[in-house]
Amino acid sequence: MTQISWLIALIPAFPLAGFLLNVFLVRGERANGTVASLSIVAAFITTVVAVINLAGMAEESRFIAITLWEWLAVGRVTVSFGLWFDPLTAVMALLITGVGALIHIYSITYMHGDSRPGRYFAYMNLFVFAMLILVMSDNLFLLFLGWEGVGLCSFLLIGHWFDRKNVAPGIVPSEAATKAFVANRVGDAGLLLAMMAIVSHFGTLSFFGSDGLSGFVSRLTDASFTTISLGAFGNVGLVSGIAFLIILGVVGKSAQLPLFVWLPDAMAGPTPVSALIHAATMVTAGVYLIVRTHAVFDLAPDASGWVVIIGATTALIGATAAITQFDIKRVLAYSTISQLGFMIAAAGMGAYTAAIFHLLTHGLFKALLFLGSGAIIHGMHDIQDMRRMGGLRKHMPVIFLVYIVGALALSGIFPLAGFWSKDEIIAHAWYGAQNINVTVILLLSSLLTAFYMGRQVALTFAGEVRDKDAHPHEDLGSMKWPLYILAVASVLGGLINLPGVHWLNDWLNPVLHQEAELFTLSMGIFAAVTVLLATGSGYLGYRIYSGPIGARITPGDEDPAHYYLGDIWKGFEMGWGLDYVYQRIFVKPYRTLSTFLHDVFDQQAIDGILVEGSAGMVGRFSQAVARIQNGNVRTYALVFLIGVVVLVGYVVIGA
Amino acid sequence: MLPTIFYIGLSVLLFVIGVCGVLLRRSTLMVFMSIELMLNSANLALVTFANQRQSIDAQIMVFFVITIAAAEVAVGLALLVMIFMRKKTTNIDTMTTLKG
Repeated sequence: MTQISWLIALIPAFPLAGFLLNVFLVRGERANGTVASLSIVAAFITTVVAVINLAGMAEESRFIAITLWEWLAVGRVTVSFGLWFDPLTAVMALLITGVGALIHIYSITYMHGDSRPGRYFAYMNLFVFAMLILVMSDNLFLLFLGWEGVGLCSFLLIGHWFDRKNVAPGIVPSEAATKAFVANRVGDAGLLLAMMAIVSHFGTLSFFGSDGLSGFVSRLTDASFTTISLGAFGNVGLVSGIAFLIILGVVGKSAQLPLFVWLPDAMAGPTPVSALIHAATMVTAGVYLIVRTHAVFDLAPDASGWVVIIGATTALIGATAAITQFDIKRVLAYSTISQLGFMIAAAGMGAYTAAIFHLLTHGLFKALLFLGSGAIIHGMHDIQDMRRMGGLRKHMPVIFLVYIVGALALSGIFPLAGFWSKDEIIAHAWYGAQNINVTVILLLSSLLTAFYMGRQVALTFAGEVRDKDAHPHEDLGSMKWPLYILAVASVLGGLINLPGVHWLNDWLNPVLHQEAELFTLSMGIFAAVTVLLATGSGYLGYRIYSGPIGARITPGDEDPAHYYLGDIWKGFEMGWGLDYVYQRIFVKPYRTLSTFLHDVFDQQAIDGILVEGSAGMVGRFSQAVARIQNGNVRTYALVFLIGVVVLVGYVVIGA
Repeated sequence: MLPTIFYIGLSVLLFVIGVCGVLLRRSTLMVFMSIELMLNSANLALVTFANQRQSIDAQIMVFFVITIAAAEVAVGLALLVMIFMRKKTTNIDTMTTLKG
């Protein structure tokens, strides 16, 4: 038992060691990449060993808990630096370290020739460390450390090219980084408030306590009738309040409505960063948090309802925005938002296993797609605009092959990974939650998913190269094996939770207590219908954009569909105008206020009166005094004499 | 022995002459000599009072003053020579570099 506990502490220790080494000791691009990759590979191997140990334990007590040290003790609340390793953490840690290791190896070639490789790899390692802390912590406070840590690393890595003023399509990396940070902060405030509510009512932030029973999660039912007074706004149930505050945090981190605007702009970072942070791991933190605290949501049906609404709406908005984008990475970014919507909706409907299943498969094939698009961008010499691509199938056969696998998996085509996980969510909306609106929205989003992937593949790979000046080539180096491995994983990923086999379900059962649903014939027909629809939609997207319509698109053109849909298409392209609204409501007034304060208070009051005013006063006074100092020795002597006379006179007369 | 007041009168006379010399003369050398005159007038006053009170303390003080005056003359004259070498004049009104 003790050596296993020691083992799980090693999992986050490796990336941390890699980070410290890269910051303080290791210099040189090659060495940075090697150290960073090795540390993540080591963490992955450790995770695998820990998982094997975990699988050998009895199901009732299948967790490993270790308290490294007591972190804070304030009054009766103590927070320990404790790690918790149960089946849910295990699958998350496997995804993070597994995909993370592949992305690190990929980065060695991708970031070759970058001016700041040490920074890049150090932050990547720090990111993996923070993410592991997030999923492995046994209390909300430590989780919050990881939560903020991934936010920080996201900021640092989006802004990796902070000296570039413009990365396609017209995004400034430093501004995109700030935007991500600020949007995340809004959500973090919610999570922080949730933590405060939990501390004030339960006196602990630990999920389960060291014995698995004494944390706040197991005591929630006692508090199901407790209410919090909101003053003039009436009372709200404690559990619902906590749930809503957690949702706010989830919405920020997992890029859901209304805070998803930061994710498309986050594509200003290097492509492996997009793959690691904005597809496979960090944005899934919100889904993980909901599943980890699922007891809260089970007791708060009103909050869960909102989770479903947010998730389903985001899925649709993301999908509609993705079909209109021309930047190869922005398509994938909106697609990520959409797929996260699926997971959130599933979690809201209580299908936690389905949410985690989709999280895992999505992590695999979205990483594959991002890395594939990174390889395309690499081979096209930093061209990201799909209007300048086309015909890359001839120039990049390997990338074409793996990209097709990723696209099919994402579109939910049988029998690739995305089919099983996405179908499980839609089926749950139909059979489990029996909510026709949600089912229709999710189905529509799923069809749009297939459509935009077909469109993207057509624009990128079919026909001829549109930009005659481009020189596409395929030079993969260390990027080759991560792509192969992820492609295989995207094909086979569905195996972990096949209907009727449901390994993942059984594995997560000790945590989530969800029995696998029985597989019925009607479900099979349902799945067949969705897959046929998705195939048709994907083929339609491919057909339209690979045909003569697609061939006519030239760089700088509007999409052909813009001709028919006009402003609706434009609205889709702008992500339903949410950015515009924020720009108008928050950014512009804030900028105006700042300019006003700067001009009036800073320049006039502080600079003008306080700083320069006091300095000027001293200056003028000195000038007046300096006039006395005329440098004439005899004048000095006279003044001296007068002084002596006055002093002596005072002493004599006074005495 | 003359009454003390005469000595003091002479001392005051010498002191006033010295002060006037410092304030009115343009030649730095003359200013310097006037300062010496003031020092010696003070010495005279000290010796006079010492004689009157039959005490030796003030006389010791006089020796100090003479010693310090000698040192001051050494430094002061050296400065004066340097000033003359630079400016080719000892007019005190030309030395205004400390003007603020």
